Amino acid sequence: MTNHQPVNIVMIEDDEGHARLIEKNIRRAGISNVIRHFTDGTTALAYLYDSPEGPAQNGPALILLDLNLPDMSGTDILARIKKEGSPLKRTPVVVLTTTDDKVEIQRCYDLGCNVYITKPVNYENFADAIRQLGLFLSVIQVPEVGEAD
Amino acid sequence: MPDRSLEKLQPTFARRVIALVAIGFLALIAAGIATAWVQIRNQDNAGWVEHTLSLQSKLGAFASANERAETARRGVLLGGGPLFRQRMEEAVAAAEATLREISQLTLDNPVQQERVLAIHALMEQQRIYREPRMLEGARAVRAGQLADDPAVQLIRKIRAVAEAMAVTERELLAGRQRNQVQTQRVFYIVLAAAGALVILVATLTLMLMLRYTRDLAASRAELRRLNTGLEGMVDERTAELQRANAEIQRFAYIVSHDLRSPLVNVMGFTAELDAARKTVQGHLDTVEEKAPELVDEPVRLAVREDLPEAIGFIRTSTQKMDRLINAILRLSREGRRTLLVEPIDLAVLVQAIVDSMQSRVNDLGAEIRIGTLPAIANDRLAIEQILSNLIENALKYLQPGRPGLIEVRGHDERERVVLEVIDNGRGVDPRDHERIFDLFRRSGTQDQPGEGIGLAHVRALAYRLGGLIEIRSELDRGATFRLSLPKVLNPGGE
Repeated sequence: MTNHQPVNIVMIEDDEGHARLIEKNIRRAGISNVIRHFTDGTTALAYLYDSPEGPAQNGPALILLDLNLPDMSGTDILARIKKEGSPLKRTPVVVLTTTDDKVEIQRCYDLGCNVYITKPVNYENFADAIRQLGLFLSVIQVPEVGEAD
Repeated sequence: MPDRSLEKLQPTFARRVIALVAIGFLALIAAGIATAWVQIRNQDNAGWVEHTLSLQSKLGAFASANERAETARRGVLLGGGPLFRQRMEEAVAAAEATLREISQLTLDNPVQQERVLAIHALMEQQRIYREPRMLEGARAVRAGQLADDPAVQLIRKIRAVAEAMAVTERELLAGRQRNQVQTQRVFYIVLAAAGALVILVATLTLMLMLRYTRDLAASRAELRRLNTGLEGMVDERTAELQRANAEIQRFAYIVSHDLRSPLVNVMGFTAELDAARKTVQGHLDTVEEKAPELVDEPVRLAVREDLPEAIGFIRTSTQKMDRLINAILRLSREGRRTLLVEPIDLAVLVQAIVDSMQSRVNDLGAEIRIGTLPAIANDRLAIEQILSNLIENALKYLQPGRPGLIEVRGHDERERVVLEVIDNGRGVDPRDHERIFDLFRRSGTQDQPGEGIGLAHVRALAYRLGGLIEIRSELDRGATFRLSLPKVLNPGGE
C-alpha cells in the first residue's frame, strides 16, 4: 500500500475468533496498517459512510467482508458499497467467507467484489491463505476515495 | 376395484348361480308334480262322477220299474187279463235286478246301503200283495178305496226311500264337482307360483351374470391400470426419496458449514497455543541451562508433558471432527452438483474402474469379473462414483484366507435396470443392512480405515439418480449390492 495516505483495513467479520486469527496472520505477513473490526453490518456501514474517520470522508480503505453476518447479508453490504454513485465504489472489497457455493461466488463478482476468498476449512491452510492475502495487500494499489472520474 | 374382492367374488358368484339354478329346477319339478297330482285327482274325480251318474240312472230305472209294477198290479186289480199279470211280474223282476245293481254300486256308502236294504225289505213285504189269492181278495176293494190299500202304502214308502237316495247322490255329485273345481284351482295356483318362481330365478340369474361380468370387466381394467401404474408408483417413490434426499443435503450443507466456523477457531487458537508453548519451552530450556535451580518439577511437567499432550488431543479430535464435517460437506456438495444425463457404456466404465484398482486387486490375489451390463442413460460421474465405491468396498472387506471373487453384472427389469456388485467376502450381518448406509456407521470388524461415509454417499447418489440400493448378505457368505436405476434418468425429476 504505497499511497501517501495510509490505507485503513476495515474488517467486517462476526466471529471474534476468526477476526483475531485473520488479524494475527495479516500481521505476520508484515502488514502494519490500521485494522478496524466490526462484528455486524449496521455499525460497519455507519463507520464506512458516516464516521468522520471512515473511508467515505477520510482516506482510502480496503474492506475485508464476511458474508454471514447476524443482522444482514454480506452481499447487501457489497451491493451498497459497489452501487452506482457510492463514494466507496472503487474501494477494493475482499470477500472472505466460508461459503464456497458457486452461485454465491458468481453473485459477489457480479456485484463488483474484487477478490473472493473461501476460508479454508483446515487451520494451516487458513493461516497460509491469510498470510498470502497479507502479502497481496502489501503490493496492491488502492484508489483515493471520492476522486473525480 | 382391488383384486381382493375379485377373489371373493368368484366363489360367491358360483354359489349364488348354483343356488338360483337349483331353485329354478325345483320350481319346475314342483310344477311337474302338481300337474301329475292334478291329473290323478281329476281321473279319480271323473271316476266318481261317472259312478254317481250311473247310480242316478239306475235309481231312475228302478223308480220307473217300480211305478210300472204298481200300474200293472192296479191293472190286475181292475180285472185286467193275464197280460197285466205278466207285465207286473216282468216289472217287479226288472226292479229287483236294478236294485241288486244299485246295491252293488253303493257298497262304498253305508247310508245308501241301508236304504237299499230298506227298499229290499219293503219289496219283500209287497210280494204277498201280488200273490193271486191276495189279488182276488183285494179286487173287492175296488176303486176309491185304493188309498187304504197296504200295497199302495208300501209303494209310496219305496218311492220315498228311492227319492232320498237320488237326493243323496245329487248332493254327492255336487260335492265331487266342487272338489274338481278346487283341484283345478290348486293346480293353477301351483302352476302360477312355479312360473313366477322360474321367471324370478331367471331374472336374478341374469342380473347376477350381468353384475359379475361387469365386475369382471372392471377388475380386468383395474388390473391393467395397476400394471401400468406400477411403474408410476416406483417413479413416485423414487421422486419422494429424491425430494427427501435433497432436503437432507441442504440441511447437511448448512449444518456442516456453520460447524466449520467455530472449528476453524478451535484449530487456529490451538495452533496459537502450540506456538506460545514452543516459545515458553524455548525460554524454559534457556533458563534450565543457565539456572537449573529456578526450574522446579511441576513447571517442567506442565510445559514438556501436560501442554503437548492436551494440545495433541485437541488436535486429533478437531482433525477427526474436521474430517467428518468435510465428509458431510462433500456429500452435500455432491448432492448439489448438476446432473448431466448421457448414454453410458457401462462395460467401458466398469473396466476403467477395475483398471484403476488393478494393483490392489493383484496384491490381494483377487479377481474381478465383469458380466453382461445393460445400456443406460444417466450421470456418468455419479454412476462411476457409486460403482467404484461398491467395488472398492468389496475389495476392502474380503474374507481373509479366501481368494476374493467380485462380479459386476446387470440386467433390464421392465423400465429400470438393475446393477449388481457381488462378492464372496466377509458379508454383513442382516441386523446391519440398514445401518451400513447411514453416515459414519460401519459394521463388522473395524480393521480397515474409513469414516463410514462410502455407502452413505452411494445411497445419497442412488436416490438422487432416481434409484434404490439394497444389500443382500449374511455373515461370511459374501454380499450382493443391488442398485436399481431408471433406464433413462429424467433430471427434471429432482
